[in-house]
Amino acid sequence: MYYQLINFGNEEFHAYSNKSLYCKRLNTLIVSDLHIGKSISYAKNKQFLPPYDTKEILNKIFVSLDKIKPSNLIIVGDLLHDVFSTLSINDQDYKNLSRYMKNTDFIWIKGNHDKNIQIEGFKNFTNYKIEKFLFTHIPTETSLFQICGHYHPKVKIVHRGKTIFKTCFVHNEKIFILPSFGILTGGLDINSKEISDVLGKKNLNIYPVGQDKVYKL
Amino acid sequence: MKKKKWSWFPHQIETFHHVRNGSDVVVFAPTGAGKTLTGFINPIDDLIKLKKFKGLHTLYISPLKSLANDIVRNLEKPIKELDLNISFQVRTGDTTPYKKQKQKQKPPNILITTPESLALLNSYENAKEFFHNLKYIIIDEIHTFLDNKRADLLSLNIERLQTFTPNLQRIGLSATLKNKQDAKKWLCRKKPKIVSYENSVLPKIKILESKERIPWSGHMATYSINEIYKEIMKSKLTIIFVNTRAQAEYMFKNLWLINKKKLKIAVHHGSLEKNLRLKVENNLSKGLFDCVVATSSLELGLDYGDVEKIIQVGAPKGINRLLQRVGRSNHNLNTPSKAILVPTNRFEFIEAKAAIEEIKKNNLDKIDLKKGSFDVVAQHIFATACAGQFDSNDLYKEIIKAYPYKNLKFNDFKALINLIQDGGYVLKNYDQFKRIFQLRENKNIYKLVNKRETRKYRMNVGTIIENPMLKIKLGTKTLGNIEEVFIQNLSQGDSFIFAGQVLEFQSMKNNLVQVKRSKSLISKIPSYSGGRMPLSTNLANSVRALISKSNMWDLYPEQITEWLKRQKNISKIPKKDEYLVEQFPRKKNFYTVIYTFVGWHANQTLGFLLLRGFKEFNYKPLGFVANDYAIILWSLKEVKEIKTILNLGLLDKHLDNYLEETSIVKRLFRDNAIISCLIERRLPGMEKTGKQVLFSSDLIYTVLKKNEPDHILLKSSYEDAKKNMIDYDRLREILKKIDKKIILKKLTSISPLAVPIILEINRENLSKKETDEYILEDLENEILKEANVLSIN
Repeated sequence: MYYQLINFGNEEFHAYSNKSLYCKRLNTLIVSDLHIGKSISYAKNKQFLPPYDTKEILNKIFVSLDKIKPSNLIIVGDLLHDVFSTLSINDQDYKNLSRYMKNTDFIWIKGNHDKNIQIEGFKNFTNYKIEKFLFTHIPTETSLFQICGHYHPKVKIVHRGKTIFKTCFVHNEKIFILPSFGILTGGLDINSKEISDVLGKKNLNIYPVGQDKVYKL
Repeated sequence: MKKKKWSWFPHQIETFHHVRNGSDVVVFAPTGAGKTLTGFINPIDDLIKLKKFKGLHTLYISPLKSLANDIVRNLEKPIKELDLNISFQVRTGDTTPYKKQKQKQKPPNILITTPESLALLNSYENAKEFFHNLKYIIIDEIHTFLDNKRADLLSLNIERLQTFTPNLQRIGLSATLKNKQDAKKWLCRKKPKIVSYENSVLPKIKILESKERIPWSGHMATYSINEIYKEIMKSKLTIIFVNTRAQAEYMFKNLWLINKKKLKIAVHHGSLEKNLRLKVENNLSKGLFDCVVATSSLELGLDYGDVEKIIQVGAPKGINRLLQRVGRSNHNLNTPSKAILVPTNRFEFIEAKAAIEEIKKNNLDKIDLKKGSFDVVAQHIFATACAGQFDSNDLYKEIIKAYPYKNLKFNDFKALINLIQDGGYVLKNYDQFKRIFQLRENKNIYKLVNKRETRKYRMNVGTIIENPMLKIKLGTKTLGNIEEVFIQNLSQGDSFIFAGQVLEFQSMKNNLVQVKRSKSLISKIPSYSGGRMPLSTNLANSVRALISKSNMWDLYPEQITEWLKRQKNISKIPKKDEYLVEQFPRKKNFYTVIYTFVGWHANQTLGFLLLRGFKEFNYKPLGFVANDYAIILWSLKEVKEIKTILNLGLLDKHLDNYLEETSIVKRLFRDNAIISCLIERRLPGMEKTGKQVLFSSDLIYTVLKKNEPDHILLKSSYEDAKKNMIDYDRLREILKKIDKKIILKKLTSISPLAVPIILEINRENLSKKETDEYILEDLENEILKEANVLSIN
């Protein structure tokens, strides 16, 4: 798999076009904002999105785990869309999950969407520290390097008279934000107030996600 | 009523008798022939006889809200003159909720409304009672929406009314059409009749005699601006019609720059704020202007008093359209309308000439009736459920009575019910979250789960889906709407033209675009996607015939004659039924030009298919450009087997690929998802509540395509694409016979006829997917280069 090399906190990370991030030295794979079961939670309000997101998201995860075989999988929040989401995970999915859990630790950092939900085999945390890195859903006050999610960043690119929006990885010196790993999830402009308040506007490292590769701006 | 002091047109009397004998009638008449009144004769006569009739008697459907208001003004006069006790009111999206409520409690005798408002009325629980006395439904300007989804929606709702009141009679009013029978089939059920009134006074149409050089290509008519200005000065009131909103802004700006006589000139198009448009319309009817530059926004409607002259800038694109526009001047049957055509390039000159010839021969365009769209049925099913529980078999029987749906398969109908029920996913479903459910004791009966859903239907009613638009604010004043895509391309301080003013982009907040006046001379003009008018088959054939008539050439301006003569010497002028193909080398590439005259949509499709075909033969094609008349392709290698490639097989083999790669179906899927109420319409104000875009139709499309490629909405989008975007039937017709009629010319360099199209080569010809990757890659490379330079220094 082709990856983009990103240096953050003096550590090498690999950014993949499937929107996951990998740290080789720590043998840790990181994903964010999967929003599993988004379709089913919309269905209860009679918005009938195709009910295949859960299946696709899990398959994406499994493919990555097969290839990379990390010792840790860290989900930096919003694994599930809401309390209804578990309805969309079927028995076969649970079986597959527990099979992968034999070789990989599933570390589930709770996000705003899935605070009070449990799934067997996942280890729940509000945040998780490895060496100088703090894994958390929304950035907090800390001197550590933070790796988080929540914002679903996308970047507006104006080039040669054309404008496009692309999902992206983005970080400043201290805070790294992952794109959403979900299938039916939209994005938020990194110039929006919400993201600027966290990252500031200057000295951002932006990595738009293309079809099969991650670019560097 | 007939005894009164009016004199009647023969077609009005004929209509009156047919309707009285119980016929459904379509009346064809030009503007100025009392068309609107024709529809009302029987209802009013009937209401007089019935004396103090209580309740709704006649429904009048207008394609435009503004037209509905005009009708009321027009009805007032005769009803007052005759001192009749007949009530009539308007009901559109602009009617206040209070008034709507009143109307439901105490309906007027005559209700004037739009297709969307009718659909809404039918979705109320008491719809049957509301309409139970209805005797007539009048559809005005029926020709304007016979070929689109609004007609589908209307046809379904007319059948619903007919179910409520089986005696209902239908009266259609139309401009003159070629295929009158089709309009009759669409509307009439009972003893169908056509009434037709042809205008014997032909309009006087000529082409602007310009001393300037007519450009090879382009669409802005800058060359002729001074001459246009002189024409405006000669007449009391002129309407200049253009084909796009961008052209309207541009024309207005250019006229303003040379307006030394301080003429009163205004601009009018569909994106302007309603109040601004109304102001222009009012002043126009009062005769306060010298000239108004307009798009099709001013095509319909009642008299604008003293319009003396019409100037059509740009190709007419169709005979009917041109006649409709020309008819806006001298709204009086006995004096001819006057119009001047201003072609913006050389092909358009031929097209203008051809249009004038066809009008002389009274050879009008056909309106192609199309198979009804699936998404509209889905919306109608939802509406039906809102009105109360329904039997699916009865509903199906009612729907297939509507002309666009006469061939609707029960299986498709069933899939559409499932779509409304829970999204209609076959492999996995939302059993526990249904919107409508089947009664246990009778599986044919469906019922809405809860009342709250009716609100969602009412927010989503209608078939017109606009691109995401943003409001433009100058200070606190709203000027109108502009496409989000255009604004995204602007940076702070950029200036652009809108509503006839040069504006500077300041900021965008909460989906409001704040601007200030600018003095900048360089400014962009907003373009609006999807605004391309199709070239009518009729006119295309006429253009083809006209070019081949070399004995006519001497009547043309010298520059046009020269152009065609040189073409004849260097290459060839194709005969009426021939397809000329020219091939020549140019700047290391090899060019192939095919003159099809089938319109842009079909040419665009054909261009893509040929690109694929060339690839297969390893000619290494690089790109293509299409316009209404021709396609030009360029490749690295010489294309030797053009006759082998250009045939029906090309279409069958590569069409799916085309729809996929150009995201045509994906784009239409968004409309389908909204019309069928799968996802909710984004209404103004809603954006403010959600910080993130919750999901996009593109994502839904991708997931659906992968997991359930046979889903009814994908099928629906695909059919829409075939119907509207690629001119499938027209292309098929041509490709069936093209291989025998190709005239191949190998040239050493470009031919005169090819010059206009080669000048159009400047756009990227990549699909959206490819474009995105290209932009990213290019930008990354630039940055890398910059970084290298920096590190070396």
